[in-house]
Amino acid sequence: MARSKTRRMKGNEELNITSMMDMMTIILVFLLKSYSTDDITVQGNDDLQLPVSSSLMPPKLAVNVIVSQRQILVDGEPVLMLEEALDEKTQQMVPRIPEDAKRGPKILELYDKMVAKAEQAKRLGEKSRSEEFDFKGQVLLQCDKRLPWEIVRDVMFTAGQAQFGEFRFVVIKNSG
Amino acid sequence: MRKARKEYEEKGLDLVPIMNLVTILIPFLLMSAQFVTLAVIDTTLPAISSEAQPVDPEDKDEDKLNLSILITSEGYTLTGADEVLPKDDEENGPNVPCLENGCPTAESYDYAALTKKLVTVKNRWPDEQNAILVPETKVPYEVVVLTMDASRNDPEDVDQDTNKARDLFPFVVIAAGVN
Repeated sequence: MARSKTRRMKGNEELNITSMMDMMTIILVFLLKSYSTDDITVQGNDDLQLPVSSSLMPPKLAVNVIVSQRQILVDGEPVLMLEEALDEKTQQMVPRIPEDAKRGPKILELYDKMVAKAEQAKRLGEKSRSEEFDFKGQVLLQCDKRLPWEIVRDVMFTAGQAQFGEFRFVVIKNSG
Repeated sequence: MRKARKEYEEKGLDLVPIMNLVTILIPFLLMSAQFVTLAVIDTTLPAISSEAQPVDPEDKDEDKLNLSILITSEGYTLTGADEVLPKDDEENGPNVPCLENGCPTAESYDYAALTKKLVTVKNRWPDEQNAILVPETKVPYEVVVLTMDASRNDPEDVDQDTNKARDLFPFVVIAAGVN
């Protein structure tokens, strides 16, 4: 009985997983190498292409402001949708901030959000009593590289009004 | 005799539990894998705030260079310390025109020429670290970042010992754009 079973097993061979193990081990090593626990993450998509730069400064945790081609987000929450307008000079559609959403260069909704963030950060700083969490007014700015400068400038101005004075542009590190 | 033979046949490493473990590890590592490395560029507030900013008395120092790099749709214009930038050996004076007329793309700005020009400025004011960037409103954000790269250090002048490029103007202040 036992003998006939083993013979059958030998007949329709068991799944050979050794080669699959080899592959998995290589993938595992490769993934471990690219494993990272950075403070910030970037969701790459078509609306948000970060510029490439030769800067070597590592990113640090701060209030995260994302300006993509379509919207402005603060710490992952959408704050304002951008609209598209025709640029007379180049005859191309370029994003811009809706006129009724801002007063002068100040973007009202973003301002409210940033003031709330600043207050939250200050309260946290007071409670923690450590210098590390003190409010330093730092903003991590992730902007799409094709945006016209005036949008970035207005976002910076608005954040500046809400007591954020240090801007860090997030860029992709140039490997070459 | 028969028993011993059976044991021999069943020997062999059982890889299935390891496979299970690895299969679970792979999606987890894939999630936290990072294929692009990020960096940041430090800048300070644009001086267009309508609220009064505390003025650093050092900023009023007459001897300061106050190098400004204007980015326009024609190229770069350098100003600073009451227009005393070296003009002698360059035909365009303080200007760095675009490679293509009207600067249609981010690549058409002449970053290499800007770096070269800034090297001559740095040679004259070796202690100066700050540059003020004044981009026009329609200039793409990418150009501003690449300009900051061009003004940060000189890739042609690399220290042999430390393997670091010579610093030009690493501290960037962004000012209000011109219309």
